[in-house]
Amino acid sequence: MAMNQEELLRSPAVWQPRTVEEAVGLKQSLGADSAYAAGTTLLRTQWEAGTAAVPKHLIDLGSIEDLSGISETENGLRIGSMTSLTQCRNSGLVGERAPLLADAVKAIAGWSVRNLATLGGNVMYRVGDSVPALIALNAELEWRDGSQLILESAEEWASAPSAASRILTAIRIPGGDGDPTSNAKRFYAYHKVGRREAFTPSLVTVAIQGTLEADGSISAIRIAAGGGQTTPSRLTRAEELLLGESLRAERLQEVHEAVLDQYAPKADPFATDLYRKQTAANLVAAALWTTSQSTAAKG
Amino acid sequence: MIDKTLAERGASARLECEVNGSPVSIGISPSTRLLSVLREELKLTGTKRSCEIGRCGACMVLVDGKPVNSCLTMAYQCSGKKITTIEGLANEEKLHPVQQCFLEEGGYQCGYCTPGMIISVKAMLDENPNPTMEQIEEAMSGNLCRCTGYGGILRSIARAIEIGGQPNDR
Repeated sequence: MAMNQEELLRSPAVWQPRTVEEAVGLKQSLGADSAYAAGTTLLRTQWEAGTAAVPKHLIDLGSIEDLSGISETENGLRIGSMTSLTQCRNSGLVGERAPLLADAVKAIAGWSVRNLATLGGNVMYRVGDSVPALIALNAELEWRDGSQLILESAEEWASAPSAASRILTAIRIPGGDGDPTSNAKRFYAYHKVGRREAFTPSLVTVAIQGTLEADGSISAIRIAAGGGQTTPSRLTRAEELLLGESLRAERLQEVHEAVLDQYAPKADPFATDLYRKQTAANLVAAALWTTSQSTAAKG
Repeated sequence: MIDKTLAERGASARLECEVNGSPVSIGISPSTRLLSVLREELKLTGTKRSCEIGRCGACMVLVDGKPVNSCLTMAYQCSGKKITTIEGLANEEKLHPVQQCFLEEGGYQCGYCTPGMIISVKAMLDENPNPTMEQIEEAMSGNLCRCTGYGGILRSIARAIEIGGQPNDR
C-alpha cells in the first residue's frame, strides 16, 4: 500500500552533512525552509500539535561525527550536544561531577523519549528542564558557526538567544573534583513540579547549586528557576541574601519573599502566576531548609 | 542554490535496516515515521498508533535494543539499525516470558497498550533483571494504560522478574 498521502505531503527532505561546516552551509543555502534536527522528539511533537510548521528540509545533526559523548576536561565536564538524555542520565561522570544535571535529566519526559532526545536539543528549546540546572551549574555553551568557536554562558543564551545559523556543539560544565583538603561541602537541589508525578511537562522548575563552608556559611550559590513556558533565569536577590550567611530560618523567610518578588513566571489557563511564584518560593526555601538540617545532623 | 558537495548529502529515499531479525529494504521518504513504516509498509500492526506525540507508549519498539516511540522516530534515524517489534518477541513455539506473564497475570484489559508495555518491560529487564519499584516506575512512566489501574501490569512485571524475563532472547 502507498504510504499515507497526508504524511507524504508533509515529509521534509533530509540532509545529512558530515561536518559542522557542511551543516551551516546547508542552513545558509536552504534558509527559512529548513531546520536543524537532533533527536527530533520536540520537533515531531510541535508538528503534531501544530505549534511549528513542518519545514521543507531537515538538516540531520546526527550525521556529524564527534557531536556526542561525555568527557572530563581540565576544568570540568564537556558533554557533546548530540549526547542523548539517557547517556547523561546514566553517565557515572555526570552523576559524580554534576549530579544536579543528572537529577534534571531524569525528570525530563520518559525513558524512551530520553533515548532519542539530546541535551543539545533540550538547551535549544530554551525552556527545556535541563536549562535551570545548567544555569545553576554556570555551564558554558560551545557553538560553532563553521569557522569560529563561540563560547556563551547558558544564562546568557536563555536570556537573549542568537538567531545566527551557528550550531551548538557542546555543553561545558565547570568544576573538578574540588580541593580534597577543604572542608567545604557542595550542595545541590533540583525540583520539578508538574500536574502529575512522572513524565509531565513542568509548571515550575527550580535548580540550586552552592558551597557550604565548615562554619556553616555559604561561600557560593546559584539559584535558577523556570518551568512551563517561563524562560529560566537566576534568582539573584535570593542568592545575594544567602551569600556569606548561614541557613537560618529567619534568613530563609527572607529568601522566600525574594523568590516571590523576583521570579516572573508565565501563567497559563491551568496555573496562575501566583501559584507558580508560591511554588517556586516554597521549593527554594524547602530545599535550603533540608540542606541546613542535613548539615546540622552531620555536624 | 546548494553547491555540488552539499547536494550529495541528501538522505537516501531507501531505508535499509533489520526488522525482527530479517533484512528490510524499502523505498520511502527519509522523514516517514517509523510507526508508518511498520504498520503501513510492513503490515506489522502489533505496534499501535495512539497519541502520536510520544506520551502514551502504545507505539514502543526497540531500536538496537533500546525502547523508543516509533511515532517520534523517522526512517532516516533507523538506517542500519536493528528494530524489534512485538511480533519479534515470541518464537514459533513459545511466547516471550514477558508476554506469558502478562497473559497469566491479567496484565491487560482492552489490550491496546499491551504491545508497548511488553516492549518496555523487556527492555527494562534486559538492562536490569532485578529492578526496584522506583526503577520500574521510571522505566514504565512512558507507557499509559487507561483500563487496568496498573495493578495487573505491576503483577505481571513482578512475575517476569521472578522467573527471569529474558530467556529465548535473540
